Amino acid sequence: MIDIKVLGPGCANCSKLEQITRQAVSEIGLEADIIKITDYAEIMSYPIVSTPGLVINGEVVCSGRVPTQAEVTTWLVDTVA
Amino acid sequence: MAESVSSYLSTLLWSGWTSLLDYLAAHVLLCLVPAFVIAGYVSAMIPKEVITRYLGPRAPRWISYPAASIGGFILAVCSCTILPLFASIWKRGAGLGVAITFLFVGPAVNILAIAYTGAAIGMDIALARIALSIAFGILIGLIMARLFRKDEAIRMAELADSGIFDQKAVVKPAVWVVFILLVATLIVGTLQVSILTTTWINFHLPVEIPSAVLGSLDNLQLTPQGAVLILLLVILAPVAYLGFEGVLERINRWTYAAISLAGLTLLLAAPSVTEGSLLIGITGRFIGELLLLLAIGAVVSTSFTHDELASWLWETWKFVKQIFPLLILGVFLAGVFKAIIPQSWIENLTGQNTILANLIGVLFGVFMYFPTLVEVPIARMFLDLGMNRGPLLAYLIADPALSIQSILVTGKILGRRKTFTYVSLVIVFATLAGYLFGLTLAAI
Repeated sequence: MIDIKVLGPGCANCSKLEQITRQAVSEIGLEADIIKITDYAEIMSYPIVSTPGLVINGEVVCSGRVPTQAEVTTWLVDTVA
Repeated sequence: MAESVSSYLSTLLWSGWTSLLDYLAAHVLLCLVPAFVIAGYVSAMIPKEVITRYLGPRAPRWISYPAASIGGFILAVCSCTILPLFASIWKRGAGLGVAITFLFVGPAVNILAIAYTGAAIGMDIALARIALSIAFGILIGLIMARLFRKDEAIRMAELADSGIFDQKAVVKPAVWVVFILLVATLIVGTLQVSILTTTWINFHLPVEIPSAVLGSLDNLQLTPQGAVLILLLVILAPVAYLGFEGVLERINRWTYAAISLAGLTLLLAAPSVTEGSLLIGITGRFIGELLLLLAIGAVVSTSFTHDELASWLWETWKFVKQIFPLLILGVFLAGVFKAIIPQSWIENLTGQNTILANLIGVLFGVFMYFPTLVEVPIARMFLDLGMNRGPLLAYLIADPALSIQSILVTGKILGRRKTFTYVSLVIVFATLAGYLFGLTLAAI
């Protein structure tokens, strides 16, 4: 079970990131727990300068931009491997 | 009675329509298309750490303040991105002054606003907006740091080192090369210098436009070139939707079609067309744009991955979706208001460059909230109604920096006392900036 967190207060980019992550997860058929974190104080506890941020198993893999689905897939596969 | 009401209404709609055409005209288009592309580019390709690493508590002041003042040019695209970044650096230990400078200057020097101000109102106002915002932004930051130095000392002592300012970003050289080429595209598209405006080659299009079509275009106050451009934009909208909406999932054929159409629009807007004929002039502007577009295409296709290209396109598309519809609406309404507001009001209140007139400009900017960029057509409307350029600049500096909404958010982050001081300083300095600019213009 992979633990994924999408950090973002609810902007256009944050919802896009969540959508892309869900698609990547379902396309490679992983079991993952995707949580969206919108609370600003909690977002700030991660070492990112700007949202959106993507955290896989406690590690920030990307922040400040929306990655492509292909990139998210790569990170997920790397985590599993 | 009914007749006069309907004729009044049609005057209003006509005024809105002509403003819209004026706005979609070649020179504005040449600035806005690249400006949106650049805005998307900096969001996607230039990591925020490029700037934020210079804003930390350990950076010397002579580096952190200038970095904060130019940060908005490289990072921020609208005031909506500045507030979260401001909150983030301030809470993690950036000095109050540096954070304030960043907050104030960011929205003023963003590339969309500058380019659009230059094309729609004039380069003098655009350049003054940059220079005075930077100078006064640093000044306001330094004053804030000085006034609240005791609070700052306490806060710094309590702050745990988050390590956020030690993060470095690796940016490959090609990213900067394309950034410079993009900015050059924008400059070549808008700058009025003879090498760009001179026509080098003339030729006649070997087609005839039926005079009936010409006549009806004329009735709408459209040139054939303007009509073709608007037609291209109308085609571009659905193609861009098909190509860019799902670009992060995968790049498809529509994506490339939309990129080509956008490039074509730029190229078609560049040559001069002699009025009333189909005499096409290949201007320096056209040649410059063509070369730059080819150079950008070459660097991007050799040095950028598909993922990078997709992120860039997505950010550009996001800004277009977010800003463009509001802008069109804003331009149209500004045109309508221009017909409603009596010219004497604006002239009496702000026709002269006085301190009071500048203060009125600033206060109008604070209390009226316009979405990003819409402040520009509003300013254009004031200018047409007889506002002096001094108060106009004061308004343009204050509007993106302060609004009721941004004051409330800043209040939550900084507390009431600091926010009140900040707002007062901005009002004073924006008034002063407009006044000084007005005086300078009068002296020239």
